Amino acid sequence: MASEVSAAVTPSHTGESPWRLGWRRLRGNRVALAFGGLFVLIVAFTLAAPLWAGNVAHTGPNETHTLEKVEVGGEEREVVNPSGKPVGPLWLGAGGKFFLGADGRLGRDEMVRLMYGGRTSLLIGFAATLITTLLATLLGLLAGYFRGWTDTVIARAMDVVWAYPVTLLAIALGLSLAVGGLQLGPFALSGSSIWIPILIIGVVYVPYMARPIRGEVLALREKEFVEAAEAQGAGPLRIMFGELLPNLYSTLIVFFTLGVANSMLLESMLSFLGVGVQAPNTSWGTMIGSGFELITSAPLLTVIPGTMLLLTVLSVNILGDGLRDALDPKSKLRFEVRSGLSAAEIDEGVVP
Amino acid sequence: MARFVARRLLGMVAVLFAVSVLTFLIFNVIPNSEPAQRMAGKNATPRLVASITEEWGFDQSLPQQYATMMKKIFTGDVISYEGRENVDARIAEGVPATFSLCIGAAVIWMFFGILFGYLSAVRAGGMLDRTLTIVAVAGISMPVFWLAAIFLNYLTYKLELFPSGGYVEFTESPLDWANHLILPWVTMAIVYVGVYSRVLRSNMLDAMGEDYVRTARAKGLGERRVMTRHVLRNSLIPIVTLFGLDFGSLLGGAIVVEAIFSLNGIGQYAYESLINTDLPPIMAIVLFGAFFVVLFNTLVDIAYAWLDPRIRLGTEAR
Amino acid sequence: MRKQGLALLTLFLVAGSALGIAACGSGSSSEEGGTLTGSFASFPDYLDPGLSYTQEGWTAMYDTYLPLLTYKRANGEEGGQVVPGLAESMPEISNGGKTYKLTLRDGLKYSDGTPVKASDFKSTMERLFKINSPGSFFYETIVGAEEFAETKQGGISGIETDDATGEITIELTGPRGTFSNELGMLFAAVLPSGTPAKNLTADPPPATGPYVITKSEPGRGWSYERNPQWAKANGDQIEGVGDGHFDKVEIKVVRNDATQVNEIENDKTMWMQTLVPADQREKIVNKYEGTQFRVDHPINVYYFWMNNEKAPFDDVKVRQAVNYAIDPEALERIYAGSLTAAHQILPAGMPGHEDLNLYPHDMAKAKQVFKEANPADTEITVWTDNESPNSDAGAYYQDVLNELGFNAKLKTINADNYFTIIGNETTPDLDTGWSDWFEDYPNPNNFFQPLLAGESIAPTNNTNFSRTDIKELNEKITRLAGEPLGPNQEAEYAEMDKAYMEEAVWAPYGSNTTSTFVDSEIDLDKVIFNPTFGHSLTSFELK
Repeated sequence: MASEVSAAVTPSHTGESPWRLGWRRLRGNRVALAFGGLFVLIVAFTLAAPLWAGNVAHTGPNETHTLEKVEVGGEEREVVNPSGKPVGPLWLGAGGKFFLGADGRLGRDEMVRLMYGGRTSLLIGFAATLITTLLATLLGLLAGYFRGWTDTVIARAMDVVWAYPVTLLAIALGLSLAVGGLQLGPFALSGSSIWIPILIIGVVYVPYMARPIRGEVLALREKEFVEAAEAQGAGPLRIMFGELLPNLYSTLIVFFTLGVANSMLLESMLSFLGVGVQAPNTSWGTMIGSGFELITSAPLLTVIPGTMLLLTVLSVNILGDGLRDALDPKSKLRFEVRSGLSAAEIDEGVVP
Repeated sequence: MARFVARRLLGMVAVLFAVSVLTFLIFNVIPNSEPAQRMAGKNATPRLVASITEEWGFDQSLPQQYATMMKKIFTGDVISYEGRENVDARIAEGVPATFSLCIGAAVIWMFFGILFGYLSAVRAGGMLDRTLTIVAVAGISMPVFWLAAIFLNYLTYKLELFPSGGYVEFTESPLDWANHLILPWVTMAIVYVGVYSRVLRSNMLDAMGEDYVRTARAKGLGERRVMTRHVLRNSLIPIVTLFGLDFGSLLGGAIVVEAIFSLNGIGQYAYESLINTDLPPIMAIVLFGAFFVVLFNTLVDIAYAWLDPRIRLGTEAR
Repeated sequence: MRKQGLALLTLFLVAGSALGIAACGSGSSSEEGGTLTGSFASFPDYLDPGLSYTQEGWTAMYDTYLPLLTYKRANGEEGGQVVPGLAESMPEISNGGKTYKLTLRDGLKYSDGTPVKASDFKSTMERLFKINSPGSFFYETIVGAEEFAETKQGGISGIETDDATGEITIELTGPRGTFSNELGMLFAAVLPSGTPAKNLTADPPPATGPYVITKSEPGRGWSYERNPQWAKANGDQIEGVGDGHFDKVEIKVVRNDATQVNEIENDKTMWMQTLVPADQREKIVNKYEGTQFRVDHPINVYYFWMNNEKAPFDDVKVRQAVNYAIDPEALERIYAGSLTAAHQILPAGMPGHEDLNLYPHDMAKAKQVFKEANPADTEITVWTDNESPNSDAGAYYQDVLNELGFNAKLKTINADNYFTIIGNETTPDLDTGWSDWFEDYPNPNNFFQPLLAGESIAPTNNTNFSRTDIKELNEKITRLAGEPLGPNQEAEYAEMDKAYMEEAVWAPYGSNTTSTFVDSEIDLDKVIFNPTFGHSLTSFELK
């Protein structure tokens, strides 16, 4: 899809800003736009949580209803039957209560939890990626611009975090911090704070983003405009943030979207294993985890949150792809965040 | 070249050292996770806890405890807190299952990844390309444990198409071995096919615009030949790099897949040890995993430096 | 002497009868042979009788390692009876309950052929202290045990043995009514003198019971075969322990309990030791109850402890309000039907249990009592572990407390760390939370002493989570601990149960059951579940 679009657009729009061009290309990419729309819908869905909870379901995400009954079409049905089996989706049968059924033996409303859980998952995805991007950009700029010692120290530190199998590191940190929380000087976070998984995921992905950024900075650094700025007497900060950084924006945008996708998936794995989001918070990952225990009798409790996560991550990924094609159609940056080499480096035979 | 290799290997050792220190620190920071108290059990008396503390050396300084544990791991002597068993022996037993899982899955996803990527690039923009891309992206958008759970429930429990778990040694019965691994393999492969097919596709598309390809076409070489011998070959190099770098997340996927399918490999052992905050096995497994990640990357770096693409391209196009 | 005469007579009869009739050991039917296959959800903590302290471990070794005394292989209360094992008869207790005399049976052998000696008992006890066993606690009142535990030198002076006569004399520092129970625990299973003082899970020591562990692969599974010495030497003498119907037993570890169920249903595995998963329980009960599925009753209590020392739970009225507020019916559903509701300390099946329900569920009454009490501090933390359904019970409990008028926060802790954390007094905000307690043996002291006696409150590894310290009842516990269990003692324990519940020290909510789920080939009715040790391998037979 990408090459088709770029071939059509390139010739007659010289003189327009690359952003304008990019936007136009993106608009032409119908698949990316469709998925972008899906993503917006999903976000709206999760934002509507308090509305649904208050007006339709009349219950919060953590309220238990083990012994209660609901009226469906004139007859009374138990939310949780004596053997512990939760009621299945009632759709609009009880006026929207238990739309997707009950979530397990505690009889909580699955739909309400799905919406609130989505908020947590999305929040963690975005916040973690924001942290990753900020740290990675900073480290990449420092390492790429100063090179020498700074580069070695930063690169080695990144190597250590990189070598540690990502999931193991995240699980280890999650386990360790979930018990006692985190104390950094004056800041104290309780073990069940949502910021703990955010920080863990944010930090764990830094090397994956910092490496390509470093590679790009290394390449950009050799260009004439940097030389010119240096000749004009601009200091390192000016050059890094004034000259180099703006050239990284399109890369960063693409990496950001991919980062959100990966962060959401990692969060779901951590929560599934019990070392991510902690009670009373809920996320799609924790819902899959608790649904898994009932998988043979109530498979929907696993299928539904997983599908929501899949659709969300899929949308973000396709949107990310579209952005990448739009902002840099002939870009040699068309590879995963994880490859660690910029196109410039591959051409020059630079070794990571 | 030799100096380069030596420096790389030294770097490897340094990284592994740092990884082990990091693990040790993480687990000694956990509050109230006193292994001596846990080992002492339900009716512990202070004397029993003190005795265990002495026996296991928990009263020593942290650096000393670290040194002792590392020594024990390398001499094959290290004992876990939970179950007091020999960690290295247990890891050795889990190796066949984990390697079978990872290597088998890797072969599958490499094959399909390259196939899909090639087809997508050759027919770029067409229906096939779009479909394969969406399928690929869908694969990498789903949590691997979720897919495993879905497969387990529908294909195994409900439809009974596959055995419900466990690992059969290859030496016992190759057919059974494969039968028990098909579902785990497919689960892991689905997630990674997308990564490789997309990278290959974009690399090939880039390469197709390169000079040497135009030259090859101008020379009158058939399209097929151009694609396979020139474009594909050269686009494969970054794939190899990618594979090494992905090893880390591969192990993560292995942890949950092994646990769900009861494969009793290293991943499952890691999962159990983490749940039990049992430091000795965690340390040993982390080192084991990190070792392979770093080793692979180092080998790739070395091979890369040796196979400078420019030189290869020069000779081929002639 | 009598036994030898009987053996001669049998031999005579056998010699006189036709070919092909095999003389069997005590009581059970003919050996059918074949292999019993089973699955556990996790490998036992240890396959070393000196170390194991879990139900899985005890079940695995129940019919392999025999102590001087053992528990009858029987269901229900009958299974709580202590009977002679390797010892000839029940101990002769004298000297005000401080001296125990037993005699080892003649001619007993370990599975490797070596004879069992009286001095082996002494070295087994010493081994417990050498390996820092969690079970060493039960034997600390043996004279000289504490000194030995400190120094690990010089042996335990309070145990005297004579290999020639087989006599074993044990001196205690004070009378101990539970000591016979403790002699029947696996910790006291007699092992050969030279047994190494380290964890032998990967290579278990030789057996004295009907089955011997022949292969052990930690984490994956283990296997048994018939102990040849059982048929030759031990089996004849020891009553109440079956010979076993299968020649071999193969157990594998299958973490996923749904997979275990699947294998039983397809007749691929014969028995699963694990409780059937909650989400399949209804289906299994409907389909297999009575034919392949049965509910079994280990003796345990599940309860919510409340910190009696600190506000707001230092006020008995507040605690009573909580008891009224909890609805055991809701909890039964949360446990998917495996829980039986209870409202007292001692569970059904424990001697001394007399049904009590002082606080039948009544939310309105609960709120009223709460209002009367009007606690100042309503900010509380509720603790629970992260294993379902206990985690769900904790969430339910938090919800109930909030409804009552508290502002309760839930803290979920990893199951492996849970008891260490709530048992550590430096942990802040230990207000109330979930707990359970499984009996070590069927003697009420095993519940009251560790869980409610004032002296059991400890800075770490605490078991008295509610920090209950009622002087009068403390004294009663100590007194009853010295007396062997009889009907008078049982009546007094029942009164004690009521006294504690009147103080509402806890909010007990039930007793968890477990299950026996076998495939279509196994005779369900013959399977024996001992309430302390679990399933007896020797009781499994084909239909």
